Amino acid sequence: MYLQTTIIAIIMVATFALASWKLKSPEISMVITAIVGALVGGFGFPSRLLVEGMFTYFDVGMIFLTASIFINIYSETGAMNALVRWIVKQFYDRKWLMLILLGILMIIPGALTGAGSVSIFVVGGLVASVMNYMGFTKRRVAAFIYLFAMLAAVSPPINLWAMLMAAQANMPYVGFNVVLLVPIVIIALFTIIYTGTSKTPERKNKEHILSELPLPPEGMNWFKIITPFAVLLVLILISKFAAFSIPVLGLPLTFVICAFVSAMMDRKRWDVRKWFGVMVKTMDQVFPLLATVISVGALVNIMTATGVRGLLAITFITLPMVLIYITALLFAPFAQGALSYGSAIILGTPIIFLFNSIGLNVTVTAAALSFLFPLGDCLPPSRIVGRLTVETVGYEGSYMSFLKAIAIPWLFMGAIGLLMLIFPNQLDFLVVY
Amino acid sequence: MKNPQYLKILFLVLSGVLGLLAGIEFWELRHYKETVVVSEDFTEKVMLSQYLPSLKNTWGDTPIYVYDSGVPGGSMLVLGGTHPYEPATSLATYVMMENIDVTSGKVYIIPHANMSASTLGMLGNAYIKYYHIETTWGQKKFRVGDRNTNPLDQWPDPFTYVHYPSTQNLAYQDIRNLNRTFPGRPDGTLTERISYAIMELIRNEDIDIFFDFHEASLMYPVVSTYVAHDRSMDISMMAAMMLSATQFPMKSEASPKNLRGLTHREVGDFSNTLAILMETPEAFIDRVVGRMSEELMLEGKDEFLQTAAEKGLVYCDYDIYEGFPDALGNMIIGTPMDYRVGRHLSGTLEALNWMNQFFPDKAISVTFPNYVDVMNNGSGHYLHDPSKADPSRVFQN
Repeated sequence: MYLQTTIIAIIMVATFALASWKLKSPEISMVITAIVGALVGGFGFPSRLLVEGMFTYFDVGMIFLTASIFINIYSETGAMNALVRWIVKQFYDRKWLMLILLGILMIIPGALTGAGSVSIFVVGGLVASVMNYMGFTKRRVAAFIYLFAMLAAVSPPINLWAMLMAAQANMPYVGFNVVLLVPIVIIALFTIIYTGTSKTPERKNKEHILSELPLPPEGMNWFKIITPFAVLLVLILISKFAAFSIPVLGLPLTFVICAFVSAMMDRKRWDVRKWFGVMVKTMDQVFPLLATVISVGALVNIMTATGVRGLLAITFITLPMVLIYITALLFAPFAQGALSYGSAIILGTPIIFLFNSIGLNVTVTAAALSFLFPLGDCLPPSRIVGRLTVETVGYEGSYMSFLKAIAIPWLFMGAIGLLMLIFPNQLDFLVVY
Repeated sequence: MKNPQYLKILFLVLSGVLGLLAGIEFWELRHYKETVVVSEDFTEKVMLSQYLPSLKNTWGDTPIYVYDSGVPGGSMLVLGGTHPYEPATSLATYVMMENIDVTSGKVYIIPHANMSASTLGMLGNAYIKYYHIETTWGQKKFRVGDRNTNPLDQWPDPFTYVHYPSTQNLAYQDIRNLNRTFPGRPDGTLTERISYAIMELIRNEDIDIFFDFHEASLMYPVVSTYVAHDRSMDISMMAAMMLSATQFPMKSEASPKNLRGLTHREVGDFSNTLAILMETPEAFIDRVVGRMSEELMLEGKDEFLQTAAEKGLVYCDYDIYEGFPDALGNMIIGTPMDYRVGRHLSGTLEALNWMNQFFPDKAISVTFPNYVDVMNNGSGHYLHDPSKADPSRVFQN
């Protein structure tokens, strides 16, 4: 079985490399790789497995689409420009305070929903605009946004990796708040200092920036600026704190409601053609990302069917402990790149059991892993949060240069996660119930 | 560069064909019916919606098979298929239903506790659709489902699942996990309503002992275990000791009080019944296994899992080469279906035996094939030919 599965894995890797080189499309290459894998694995043409896999991340795709529609409609009303203008006016001379506020702003949507991508969709564009006007380089802006998106996903109350590992290991999802928040504060401060101490040679003076920023449309006011976000916050909070009093909305419908509210704030609110245009533009914008999550799902399903997923998982968890520590910073992020939240179940849960069997604190271990997995959200094949960051920031360099740009805070976060993984018992005082 | 129009149309057509081919398979799985020939002691079939009418005409409604001896005694409820991707649970209930003899008390059996979840595989896990059991009269085909309610029947998921009534936060997809939604709500999601209806059945019929059959991955510490509510601990501990000494290895654990939504906790807390959950080892659902196949489901032999076992990473005996001996001298190689079905059957009988001793006023007298029988003859030996059976005893699930 080892030999056969290894051969299938090699053929799949070769197919992916060849298809990517020839077709220049990672998405189509992934689907071709899945089909070849299934054929080599003896599954014939796997129509059911392909379609089933394509629906694995259906909800994720729906969130991407609807969140983008919301934020594009919000921008179309002019509210986003008005908000950026106000922030620049207030905080132009208070760089550190502004960076702290932008960091908190980034963390809130992801902390409440468990998805860093939601942070980027909802406030990433705003944060990027403000930082661009303040003269930060695109490299630093990208690093700031990517890091805070990851921290948002890890942050309590909703840390999906920890929740999934806890669910699989029959552990209650309690005691995680402090053990997550302390490292988050440390990493956030590092990222803010890393960003704030960078040079801003292209920084323009305040008046110049304000003259460049589009003027708010007539009738724009604070009520119109705040209401869509207030509705979003209220819907998220009542979904969590009044869950038994309302039907399950789900994030896609929540964003659709907020998009509608945003449109109603516009003077030309019934201009259906305008909103239709925004939606078409959004679909164009989000389509590559949707293609990625759909094709990753298909690929992962075939990797599972053929045993390649199992081969990778067994290889990692049967490494000697020292090698687990050494390679964790490699395996965990790449598993996330391939399996998204499935990484927590495939790799995370066995590690929890393994560490539990040798007397290591499993709550700290799960928290530690939840810092390592999101590092892979910028890695292939999916690169979901990485690509979102690139698009939101308008980063124009190669994807590899983007990875280099985020490398230092990325490694810092990895080091913190790794230290937590190595010393879970020494950190168990952070587990507060 | 923009793709030419014909290429877009070609992809659209190909996607349509792919969707159609897959759709046919999905439709077949969703509508495939398993057949059961109930034993002569069968009394009546009622639907779960009898206990919560809002379930009627939904995929949450499911048949309950009642075996009433007419002789005073206790009552028992058995759930199979709480997680349909643990199919030995439903198969064990079928073997029970086709052969049970009740001489005192009343028995309720639900072979597919979450019917909806049995109609789709787990997305991203490449599950097989069906498995087949050899019988003396031919092959019998059964569905392999998902862990959670089919999204076609309950969607969307929230971003976090808040358990009722504890308000504990759980992973979002657990809102469709029947073993996380107990005690349920009458006006909640479909899965919460299924839980509530089962609770109503337990409360209205005054069920004395409740069994929830499960299968576990071998890397899950609670594999091969009874998990018992506080009031059932004595029963499960004695039964585990007896089984380990005389038939197969069995552990016993207390239901954790701070882990909410599970049957062994909530059913015990929200009714007077003695709640017990049982786990058998199922290699197929381990996260590290190789190729997903019917053989893996039925035989449970996997080299990757063997490596994990050799490294001490599994929580039960496992050997795919030489096997391990049970207390009767059988060599168990892998995790064969008969072994798993037999464990549930004897696990139930042994716990019943101890309940009868601890609570004579609740005594139930039943017989059905046990571990020894199934290991000697195979599960298929106890499944009857529907074409030769009295049509009034043939049902479809």
